Order: sequence, then structure tokens, then C-alpha cells
Amino acid sequence: MAPGEVTERERLEEAARTILNALPGDAEKAVKIVGSKSIMVKAARGSVSVAQGFQDLLLEIYLARDGKIAVTSFKTPRLDDAAKIAARVVDKLEKSPLYAPLPEPSGSSSQAVDEKVATMVAEGDTAGLTSLLDPDRWGDISGMAELAVTTTVLTASNGAELTLEKTSFNGYTRIFGREFRSGQWSWVSTRFDEKLAEEAIRTAKQLAEECSKLPEEVPEPGSYRLLLSPMVGGNLLEIVASSLLAGSVLLGFSMFSHNKPGDRIASDALTLSSTPLDDELPGYSMFDDEGVATRDIAAIENGVLKTFLHNTKTARLMGAETTGNAGWILPRLFNLQVDPGDISPDNVYEALGDGLYLTNNWYTRLQNYLEGRFSTVLRDAVIRVRNGKPVSCTPGYKLRLAGSLKDLIINVEAAGSKPYNIMWWEVNRPFKLPHIIVASSPGIEVRRG
Amino acid sequence: MKSGENSRYDFYPPDPVLLEKLVEKALDKGASYAEARFHARLGDSVLVVNDRVVGGGFEIEEGVAFRVIVDGALGFASTSLLSEESLDSVVDHAVSIARSSSRGFRKKVGMSEERLGQAQYSLKVKKDFRNLELEDKASIVLEYSKSLESKSVDLKAKTFSYSDVLEAKLIITSDGGNIESIIPRVSIFYNIAAEHGDRRANKWGHLAGSGGLELVGELGLESMLKDDVNSLEVNLVKAEPSPKGVMDVIISPEIVGLALHESIGHPSEADRVMGREAAQAGLSYRMWLDGRIGSSKVTVADDPTVPGSYGFYLYDDEAVPARERILINKGELAELLHSRTTAYSFGVQSNGAARAMNYRSEPIVRMSNTYLKPGDMRFEELLEDVKEGIYMKSYMEWNIDEFRLVARYVGLEAYLIKNGRIVKPVRDTVLEIPTESFYSKIDGVGKDLRFYAGICGKGEPPQPLPVWMGGPHVRVRDVRVG
Repeated sequence: MAPGEVTERERLEEAARTILNALPGDAEKAVKIVGSKSIMVKAARGSVSVAQGFQDLLLEIYLARDGKIAVTSFKTPRLDDAAKIAARVVDKLEKSPLYAPLPEPSGSSSQAVDEKVATMVAEGDTAGLTSLLDPDRWGDISGMAELAVTTTVLTASNGAELTLEKTSFNGYTRIFGREFRSGQWSWVSTRFDEKLAEEAIRTAKQLAEECSKLPEEVPEPGSYRLLLSPMVGGNLLEIVASSLLAGSVLLGFSMFSHNKPGDRIASDALTLSSTPLDDELPGYSMFDDEGVATRDIAAIENGVLKTFLHNTKTARLMGAETTGNAGWILPRLFNLQVDPGDISPDNVYEALGDGLYLTNNWYTRLQNYLEGRFSTVLRDAVIRVRNGKPVSCTPGYKLRLAGSLKDLIINVEAAGSKPYNIMWWEVNRPFKLPHIIVASSPGIEVRRG
Repeated sequence: MKSGENSRYDFYPPDPVLLEKLVEKALDKGASYAEARFHARLGDSVLVVNDRVVGGGFEIEEGVAFRVIVDGALGFASTSLLSEESLDSVVDHAVSIARSSSRGFRKKVGMSEERLGQAQYSLKVKKDFRNLELEDKASIVLEYSKSLESKSVDLKAKTFSYSDVLEAKLIITSDGGNIESIIPRVSIFYNIAAEHGDRRANKWGHLAGSGGLELVGELGLESMLKDDVNSLEVNLVKAEPSPKGVMDVIISPEIVGLALHESIGHPSEADRVMGREAAQAGLSYRMWLDGRIGSSKVTVADDPTVPGSYGFYLYDDEAVPARERILINKGELAELLHSRTTAYSFGVQSNGAARAMNYRSEPIVRMSNTYLKPGDMRFEELLEDVKEGIYMKSYMEWNIDEFRLVARYVGLEAYLIKNGRIVKPVRDTVLEIPTESFYSKIDGVGKDLRFYAGICGKGEPPQPLPVWMGGPHVRVRDVRVG
């Protein structure tokens, strides 16, 4: 960069300050600007199907006056209008029962930038992503690979002046073997880690090949000892984590609405944490939307509900402390993590003994949010394991998993020692977690689809 | 292209001449096809929880999407920065990423030759939401929230999310398409959580359509809410465990619409049939299945031109004129839903099903308003010769496998039928049913067509899009209830 040249971060900081100053002086106010660029390549059945590039500028304004709360969002360059519209909107609301003053800022600025990602995105270099998905290497491959660069600036009337610059590299692939027997896996990182991506793609290929070699056996309906891959665990435990957001309790979407911190809600083998400080994952941030310092915090620790996840608003309403999970109106998730156990990757079948290895799932729906009753369609390889050995396989679409998420987490028995970085269509937040073994329970049934 | 009367709803499209020049520039740089789309979405939102306004806001997103085909490779680039310089660079970006990934395109992309539209249209409304302030919109929702009550269950949480959106597009294609459109939409999503003793359940609902605030009354929010509270009361207080076994099932329009969307609409998307959604939204039984799938009473349409519908449009996002698509004709599988790229691959004409969520989205094959054509039977006639069966009136859970072969629907409000009469409420009725069984066993179709709003998911980045789903009551013979 030439001397004197204004960086993207400096440009956004200046814009945020200008808009903050244009907002009414008698209001609490915060301005967040996110500038982002990304490139993505999608593949389908052994061919690239589209190459995409995105450039966005997102401006969000928080304004609170007389106990009224407004959040306005602009994906447009018309920043001149933003302050005027935001002020007008807040005046047209009633006092919010959620209102709490913006807290003292305690967060700090930070970076998790991989220059290689930044360069590839700036140059629109999709060739590297295309070669990663090469069908000559992987066969009948579908999926996507994406690189992104984001700069976030938060400026607020509580004195917060914070920036976060980060990159991300994520994707997922599905590889088909014979007769729609497939494997699927994902990866996510703040760095361009080709080994991580290749390991994920290789895992998808190995699952497809293993399932193709094994004889087909569609398991009888019933309860089984289950080995959940990180893809499946990530999907189901993300719903559990969402249910631990105080906003979910408030809106009538939480299976833990009758629980309180200190309650045992899961087995002692499960520790589920919010991990915004993990800079290997792109949910990384050292401040939340209120400018509060984020922290890694176990929401469920060895099976015990330690805390719901709060911003200052839900914390005030529920008599708790903020956990640094602010969204401006309701709390939100950053990264998630399940603590690993001691089963080595080579011994997961042996640890399962007799049961089913569920490698992926899809289309999870809650029958009853308040009781955590759900069903989900299995997808890709479902491997029958007997005496610690894989003996048969069926494509997951022939099976469904149904039951209670409360039963599932209380029956977690053990976890693998190796964590995987997972994010894909059905796992929305970056999630680091291992394989998980769930004991056979009448509350969790495998059904034929 | 006019902006709104209220400054919040103004949008600022780039000069169409500039977009035309950019399209020309892409051709000069070697593209065989180019398409520019200005796409704006602007609207208010309010969140009401337990009869209190928790917060509100306004959202604007506007930007330009640019799509090209270079050497058989499809490139897409978008930006929310609308300066001439930014737009110029987005063309370069689209062309360069298409070119740099072209080696990976084993299946070359092309566009079907079509009669493209050159038109401007704007949906007229009776009660324009642009003329109301946020407090007026909040008061509408508050009134409904406060009216919710139950004598038999505790309503523990009542959540209402109101939003409106003005969606404006200007689409220019290198082969003559030129469409300007403005469509307003209103949406109210709600969730009611209830308890009775140690039992708990929730019911969420969605009222939405294209038009103004008149939709709230016309689509019957008041009766929807009453029905849903009644469903919770029936389930939590009165219902007994559902019987299991093979029996007849009468299914309400709410569940029929959902079933059609999932098991007929999605598998009829040509891009799924080609495998383009193989790692995302999945595949389709129409990869191998053709011919008869249902009884002669089953005719299923997808029609974007239904007035007031949530999935309304007159031209798709590739400038192809919209029309009704018949997906099942008297039990026979019929048309697939096509964009120009899938139509090119299949060697047919597009039927105008390409939709994009916003300026960040490429147009892909999507449903609009999918419904079962009504028959001529009254509800009582459907009931009268059922010896033993279930009437499923509302649902709380559903899913379906990626090929769309077997679906699951779990009833919230359901009743046992004996000898042609509804005798008592039952709960947790589970219908897990193969698609072919479902449609081939329909022997009675009501005349009471009704639509329900939904948000349909697909694509990467994901593109949630507004749709309607609907149908009349139907009777399905001899199916397994679990």
C-alpha cells in the first residue's frame, strides 16, 4: 500500500464516526459497518456449476431513546439517508420491555487475517477453489468452496470504537459412490488451510467408498447405540445451543424454558461452549454488538446448565449478567464447541461396539420447541457396526432419526479425541466438535423413512 | 422506474443506459451472454412479544447482480456499491471469475432461446403500507396479540413479527430482455407457546401475500389465530394418544399445501433433476421416475400469476413471461420447473421459474404458488364413508428425504373419525408416507381451495424465497398412521 493511502478499515471507521455524529445527540446510539468481499465456486456431479463473487457494505444503526429501541439496516451506499431514517423510526415505537442502557465498552479490536485469503479474494482468483474440487481427483463430487474477507467497525455512544478484520475459508463436499451411496463432510477456518479442506473432502470420499463396498442393510426401526459424526452432532447441538439463548426462552422457542442454571440437563460427558475467542473459526470476535468483551463460556459444563447466553437486555430481564453474546435486541451465537473426549479417531467403531454410525443428516424440524422433540432425515452413509466392525451400509435418505433432544444430550456417553471444524448448509455457526457416542435410549429412535 | 412516495421507501436504481452499456462491455470482453439486475428490497419490521413492542426497524438492501457466460462457464458477481466505477468492476469480476473457473466446467452452461419480455409493471394495492408509520403497523399486530386468550391453557409466550417489503427490480439481458417491476409484500409471523399441567406445545403461523395492508384482513389473520389457539387447547387439554395402524386420513389444506410443496414442487425443479443441488437442497425422484404418480383426481399446478399471492410475479428474473405450470396432470407427472439454463440443458423452453432472493443471488429454479386443483366434494362428503380414520387439521413438524420419496407430518390438531363422524381429538398423529402412496391413494378432493404462506429454502448462499402452498381437503385411503 502506498504511503498515505487510506485502508479499508480506516475508510469504514471514518464512515461510522460520521454517521454516529449525524444521529440525534439525545439518544443512545451505535453504528456497525461490515465491509465484505468473497468468492465461491460451486460444483455439482463432477462439474463446476457456477463461480460467484460478492462485494457488500452493511450498515446497521442501533438507536434507543426514551426506552424505545430501533435497529435499522442498510445494504446500500446511501449512508447519507441512514441517520435520518433511523431517527425517524425510533420515534415511532413504544417503550421496549427489553430496554437496558448500553453498557461500558470492554471489548477490544482484533485481527484474524490470512493474507493469502485476502489476496485470492482481492484478485477474484477462483482457480484455486476450482482445482480443490477437481473431479479427476475426487470423482463424482458436489459442493462448494468459499473465501471471504470482512472488516467490522463498531462505534457507539458508550465510547466503543472497535474493529475486527478477519478472513474465512469454508466449504463442504459430497461425493457419490455406487447407487447414490455418498459421503459428505465440511471444513471451516479463518485461514486458507488446504490440508484441512483436503482432509474433509477425503473423508467424504472414504465414506462414499466404504458405504459402496459394504453390503446394504436397512436397519430395523428402533433404538440403537449411535455414533454421531461431527456433521450430525453439529446440526443437533446447534439447536441445543440456540435453545440456550435467552432470546429463545423469551420468544417461546426454548426447550430449557423451565430450567435454571445449576440444573443437570445433559450427561457429564457433554460440555457445550460458546467460543468467540477461538480465532481459528470465523465466528471469532473480541467484542459483541454492545461493545462488551466476548468470552469463551461453557453454557453446559459436564452436563450442568451453567448459564443462558445473554446480552445486557435479556440479562436485566432475567436477573443475570451479560455473557458477551449481544445482538442488539436479542443475543446471538458466535463460534460453538463441544469438548473432546478420549476416543482416538482410529477407535471410534470399537468404542461404538454395536450400533449405527450416522455420518450426516438434513432437514431437522422441531415437533415441539418447548419439549425439544424433533425428527431429522439421515443423509449420506449410515454404517451398521457390530462388534466394533463396519458390516453394512445404507444411504441415509432411507432412514429418519426422531425423538427428544433432551434425551439425546442426557444420553451422551463419550466423545472422540479429535475435534473437527464444521460448518455447512445445516450447521450455520462455525462449530468445533468431535464424534459423539449416544447410548441407546427409548427416547431416540431410528425409523425407516 | 419510480421511487416510493415516502422517503424511507425510495430506491435509487442506476441509469438503465449504464446497465445496458455494462452488458455490452461484458460481450466485448468475450461473454456469450450477459445479464444485469438492479434489485432493491426496502421495508419496516416490528417485533412484539407478550403484548409489548420489543423493537423495530427499517431495512434497505439494494445492489446490482451481474451474470455472464464465458466459454460455457457461468460467472456471477454482485455489489451493493452502486457507483459507476463499482459497477464497471463488477462486470470485470463476473467475467474474470467465470474465465478462471472455466476449466472446471465439464458440463458447459447455455441459455435457452426465448421470447423475452420488455415490460414495466407495478402491483397496485388498496392500503399502501408506505403511508403508515411504524407505530401504526405495531398497533395492528398489538391488537391481534392482545386479543389472544384461552380459558383452558396458559399462553406462556406470544411472539409476533411484522414486516413489509417493497421489492423493485430492473433486469436487462444481452438478448433483449428488459423488465422493470415493483412488488410490495406484507408478512406476519407468529409463535404461540402454551402450557397445560406438565404438557407444553407451540404453534407458529405465517400470514403473507403480495399487496398492501388489506391482506391482513383479506387473508384472515383473526381466524388463523383463533384456529391456532384452538389447536393448542385441543392438543394439550382434550386429545388422547392417536391410534396406530392402517386407516383413512382426511388432510386439511394446510397440510396438503405443504405436502405438495415438498413432494411435488421440489422434485419438479429441473436443476435438482440435473443434480445441481446435490450437495445442498438434494436430488429428485424425477431423475428416474416418470409417468403416473397419483390418482386421476390429482392435478397440481405452480402459478406465479395468482393475484395477491406471496410468490407473485409476471416475469421471472431472466425476463421470461410467467405462466401456470402443470406439474401433475390427472395423476401423470407433467412439466418440470425451468430456468433458461436448465431449459437449455433439457432442450426445451423455459417456463419462467428463475427467481433470485436479492441482488446477492443468482436466479435459480424456484417454485412460486404450488397448489392442488380443487375437486367438487364438500368436507362432509369426504367424511361420510370413512369407517375409521383420522382428520389431520394442523401440523407441528414435517420433513422429507432429499429424493422426496418419503415424508413425515406430525399432527397438532387431529381427530378420530368413526363411521363418517368426528368423535374425539387425538394427539401426536404421525403420518410417514411414501410420495407415490400418498398421491395414488387420494380418492376424494374437496372444493375448498385455501393457500398458506411459506418461505422456501434453496441455493448457496441460501436463498429463502416467498411462496404460497395450498389445496383443498383431501381423503387418502388406507395409509399407515404411527
